[in-house]
Amino acid sequence: MSDERQQQLQHLIEFLRTVQKPNKPIEQIGPDENLVTSGLIDSLALVEIVVYLENTYGIDFGAHGFEPERLSSMSSILEFIEQART
Amino acid sequence: MSINRLTQFHEDPAVIAWWQARLGTVLTWCTPGRRRAALAIAAVLAGVIRPLRDMARADDLPVPSDWPGLASLVLALFAILWLVYQAAVHFRSLPAIVRRHPQISIHLLYWGSLAVLWLSAPTGGAWRELLFGLAIIFPYLIWRCGYLLLSGQYGRAASTRFVDQIIPLWPAYGGTNTPYGKGLDYLSKCEAKNEEELARSQLAGIKLFVLGLIWNAAMTLMERTFYGPETVIPRLNQLVVQGAQAPFLASWASVYCELVWQVLRHAADGHMIIGTLRLFGFNVFRNTYKPLLSESILEFWNRYYYYFKELMANFFFLPTFTQLGSRLRNWPRLRLLAAVFAAAFVGNMYYHLLNLETLVAQGDVFAAVYTLRSRFFYCFLLAIGIYISMRRQQGRGGKPLAAGHLARIGRIFGVWTFFALIFIWNVKSGAPFLARVEFFLGLFGFA
Repeated sequence: MSDERQQQLQHLIEFLRTVQKPNKPIEQIGPDENLVTSGLIDSLALVEIVVYLENTYGIDFGAHGFEPERLSSMSSILEFIEQART
Repeated sequence: MSINRLTQFHEDPAVIAWWQARLGTVLTWCTPGRRRAALAIAAVLAGVIRPLRDMARADDLPVPSDWPGLASLVLALFAILWLVYQAAVHFRSLPAIVRRHPQISIHLLYWGSLAVLWLSAPTGGAWRELLFGLAIIFPYLIWRCGYLLLSGQYGRAASTRFVDQIIPLWPAYGGTNTPYGKGLDYLSKCEAKNEEELARSQLAGIKLFVLGLIWNAAMTLMERTFYGPETVIPRLNQLVVQGAQAPFLASWASVYCELVWQVLRHAADGHMIIGTLRLFGFNVFRNTYKPLLSESILEFWNRYYYYFKELMANFFFLPTFTQLGSRLRNWPRLRLLAAVFAAAFVGNMYYHLLNLETLVAQGDVFAAVYTLRSRFFYCFLLAIGIYISMRRQQGRGGKPLAAGHLARIGRIFGVWTFFALIFIWNVKSGAPFLARVEFFLGLFGFA
């Protein structure tokens, strides 16, 4: 994993800590695990992730379209960031 | 054996191994391909039977009634689904405006064909009858086509076969206008890939069948002992007609009973549908998951009727929220409010308008809207409730709710009361809007 991607992952984990459900440590969730079905976040938090990506990476979902599946795990979010920025 | 182990038997490795041992040959034979083939054949049958059944029900309307007309209708429906499939597969070749707004495009096509129907002369003959039949049946397919187009939009339809897509388009496992199990994308994601996963999925399906039977028995018990036309607590639809004259205690009991009744009904129906899907190896989410234990309005809406909530989220909430990103970035609360209203109010009302397909097909759109007048208020209250619940959840910022049984019971009671009260404007009844308002006020002594 490149330094930039590692930094993005750390930043994402810090953010997810602020929107996650209580009593579900984020350390137990693997990078490819589904964030909603694993019980870490609920569907409202998906909206928070959208706002986070808009504000942090300037991603315009109006232009890119929104597919919940692409924000389903930490890995897929990082991939989405990479694709949206290129 | 603990209660938890008993209720979670479908996750117990010993039970899964036992199931595999008993059904080993069957499970080996039931490859994903064979399971899909069985469901596809059933889907084709459903695609023939359902239109015939719906036309027989609408025999007082100018719909196809002879065999050539009915055959044309069935073929036309399959042709439309195939065209939508082709549009999804070749999504990138579609005109830019359709690519940008595929859902709006398909709904505009539907309303355009309705306009042609309304403007055509009643003496139009077979073509008009065919169009009438399509107008009545297409609301059942329109959201399913929506999921197929979503799949095309995200580039996942190109590698799929029509024979697989037909499974959720004409679902033989049942459903309403709401697609239980959504589209093929979601089904594929949840599909069992090996014998162990299939065994787990089937056991989970059997669990849902058992639960469905229990909830049906609970409804029967309610009806025969205390809740119903001839018993102590009348049904809510009977009481709201009486407005402020409804007996006080029976009214309060009835609003809570109606909530429990609706939850049981949704759970019982949904469990049978999802149970069937799980038997075929599609281990999808339940439609109803313990909504009466919800501690917030948002949680209840998520658990009560999951696939309807997903429909509203996928086609109204999320598109509105993301599209408004550039315009309302500095007004996050307004942005969230707009998205919630797009789903819980606009989308919810539009969905139910399409459910009145015979009125709409006859051109009585205003009559259809008038029929839904009480529901407008229900949806308005629902949207307000969901928005406030979301804001409260955001405000907590991931912090846990107050601990303790009493605090939890208080939250659950609050959720029950909110939904029980707004159901006054949702329950199917001949009661006019004002009678429902009077009934509501009567509950608080303001008769």
